[in-house]
Amino acid sequence: MTARIASKALVVFLALVALLAVLPLLGLEGYHLRLLSLVFLWISLAGCWNFMSGYTGYIDFGPVAYFGAGAYATAILMIRLDLPFPHSLALSGVICALLSAMIGWATLRIRGAYFAIATFAAAEALKQVSLEGDRVAGFEFFGGSHGLTLPPPPASEFFYYTLLGFLVLVVGISFFIEKTKFGYGLKAIRESELSAELSGVPTLALKVKAYILSSSLIGCLGGVEAYWLTYIIPDDVFNVMRTIQMVIMTLLGGMGTVWGPVIGAGFLTLVAEFLGAKFVYDYLTILGVVIIIVILVLPRGIMSLVKGKRGEAW
Amino acid sequence: MILFLQSLINGILLGGIYAACAAGFSLAFGVMGIVNLSHGDFVMLGAFVTYWLFVLLGWDPFLTLPITLTLLFFLGLLLQKLTLNRLTGAPPIMSYLLTFGLHLVLSSLALRAWTADYRTLNPSYAGLNFNLFGLVLPYSRLSTFSLALILIFGLYLFLYRTEMGRAIRATAQDGEMARLLGIRIFKIYAVTFAISAAITGVAGSLVAQTFVVYPQMGLPFTVTAFCVVVLGGLGYVPGTLFGGVILGVFESLATTYLTAGLSLVLTFLLLLVMLILRPGGVFGKGALE
Amino acid sequence: MNLLECREITKRFGALEALRRFSFTLGKGEILGLIGPNGSGKTTLFNVLAGIYRPDEGEVVFQGLSISGMAPHLICRRGMAKASQMIRPFQEMSVLENLLVPGMYGGRLGFKQAREQASKILNLVGLEGLNDVPSREISLSQRRQLELGRVLMTGAELLLLDEIMAGLNPTEVEGAIRLLLRIREEGKTMILVEHVMQAVMKISERIVVLNHGEKIAEGRPEEVAQNPEVIQAYLGRPYA
Repeated sequence: MTARIASKALVVFLALVALLAVLPLLGLEGYHLRLLSLVFLWISLAGCWNFMSGYTGYIDFGPVAYFGAGAYATAILMIRLDLPFPHSLALSGVICALLSAMIGWATLRIRGAYFAIATFAAAEALKQVSLEGDRVAGFEFFGGSHGLTLPPPPASEFFYYTLLGFLVLVVGISFFIEKTKFGYGLKAIRESELSAELSGVPTLALKVKAYILSSSLIGCLGGVEAYWLTYIIPDDVFNVMRTIQMVIMTLLGGMGTVWGPVIGAGFLTLVAEFLGAKFVYDYLTILGVVIIIVILVLPRGIMSLVKGKRGEAW
Repeated sequence: MILFLQSLINGILLGGIYAACAAGFSLAFGVMGIVNLSHGDFVMLGAFVTYWLFVLLGWDPFLTLPITLTLLFFLGLLLQKLTLNRLTGAPPIMSYLLTFGLHLVLSSLALRAWTADYRTLNPSYAGLNFNLFGLVLPYSRLSTFSLALILIFGLYLFLYRTEMGRAIRATAQDGEMARLLGIRIFKIYAVTFAISAAITGVAGSLVAQTFVVYPQMGLPFTVTAFCVVVLGGLGYVPGTLFGGVILGVFESLATTYLTAGLSLVLTFLLLLVMLILRPGGVFGKGALE
Repeated sequence: MNLLECREITKRFGALEALRRFSFTLGKGEILGLIGPNGSGKTTLFNVLAGIYRPDEGEVVFQGLSISGMAPHLICRRGMAKASQMIRPFQEMSVLENLLVPGMYGGRLGFKQAREQASKILNLVGLEGLNDVPSREISLSQRRQLELGRVLMTGAELLLLDEIMAGLNPTEVEGAIRLLLRIREEGKTMILVEHVMQAVMKISERIVVLNHGEKIAEGRPEEVAQNPEVIQAYLGRPYA
């Protein structure tokens, strides 16, 4: 994207954000307020997933691990330690950072396939911990399949603004990545990791950093969702559907770009909402077909159309 | 002591099946560099083919193996020609995402067709056991284990003793060179993937006789295949037998002595440890790059 | 002090000994040619030097420090960088952007400095004017020029050039030779692995010949060309 288009897009974005910030004061409420909050959540999630998978090319198939971990961490901190929400959220982010540092360091030293499946396995393992942990350990902590109930949340506007804030943060970080040394390093890893290594790029360190960044923010978003829903169960916050949607939103919009996740997530959340729960079985089939078609026909997503080149992926 | 031995035996028998599930995965990876995230769905489809032939036509699960083999062979061929073929030369990311899409389609179509009900295969000899010094060895497990061994050994013979097998190995080692030698690598890729699907389908038949069958069973088996391959070495087919047995024994012992509930967690930790300490597998012959 | 010293380097792949007790030294400012038939171990040696492989025995000493087994990116930052015909550019980036990565990471330059330096290097290697061209659109010989630019941007003192003339036509080879001589004037030390004999013999001050992982000859190009063992190693293919 040329600099001029990029800054035009930025101006439009900021104007939209300002407008969105003002809407509740103008009377936006109820269903529409919550719908927009959901859009903000998914754009943020897709954007975070993009930090890692879009920019480094190492596909993370287990981001929901941190979403769930963050949800549970926030819930447990608030319920059992009586910590206020902001503190719980921050601490959840730290916990997810530590967890992802460990898993990332172990799995990012070899080819992407290992990372892809190991992250998926991690998500399943964490889900199992939340389901079976209590029974094995012998005391009440995770709540098993009954889940956990959080303290009563504030009004919907709180979540609207919190999630809008996260959206701005995530987009801001994407911009930062695009324009700085860190971003160039990540992109070099994606394009040609050996060449990057031979150019002095500390590839493992950068990959792990990107993974920690992505995962800790996803964890925070999980915490927000937990507080918003008030009631969390493993099958919901560790549900592989969340991973699938993050993948497809970013893929559709354009991986490794600033606006790709925004477009993809915004579009898909609204489409899913309007199609309702009508096509449950078919929804997955359709998603699968969409992924296949996008890979074969438009691997760079919608953004490649915007940029004016279809772009072969290789 | 008896408990330990029983657990060990169970693990070994289980491991044979795991190895059979993973052999196709290792083959597709070794030859085409494709990590097939829909791999487990071939297990699922093989299991269902066996199940329906048994339930609807009364045909014994062991006798229908050739049918499963053939059906899955052609399915694999079809999928490869339609989709994966276009990804030759693409960065691996593309194949992860594409095969992930395939997984979604296959598992959700199966769900649509057959509902989420759990099903079990109950041939007449299902509950019969062989007793050896107080150890229980179910007939069906013994036979599935033997078949798994035959399957892997057969694959090995195919790869090392037949012309097609040699062509496949040549392509795996050096695609450019293979092409210069007159080997039509696109045909090799198609056949390799089809073989991978076929043997995985047969493994699925074996699975159907041991485990519960349901449309979403695929993904856990993809993860299992992956674990076996990490243990045995990615791309190293002989290693899959040992990888499978190690995983089987590990899970069995962990379930008996630690806890059944956290088996996934323990397997994941095993995976992490392997990746940190010995990513090339127990024999160190796995592909890392 | 020698810039680079290889002491009895041995590298095995399973039963195959790709390098066997290989030793040599290199002084600052030298251009050394490394030749040998296919499979003689040249690429393996470069990979050991660049940190991609760890030697099974022996030591690599660069600027007085043992670097055997050090990670490639650290070796690059220390001042030894490898350029290869196999390496693709960062395809989503423009020609100039391709040079930012080695500049900022290997060369430890700031963003702005890297941009300036990249422009200069593009001029040096003959790619001036192509700054904003997407790097996937440039020709083969331009890619080689870019690859040279990449290693220059790392600020490395010692350049390992792995068959960078492969596939170039005679005019392009002449251009490459001129470029390498210009680079030497900048004070760089180079080791060249090449099959393009005419180029290696012309530009190297000293030649080392490898066969089956062992050094079989070392000396000035004229001497080495007459060496019967060398000629035999190449199965009688004479130096034209």
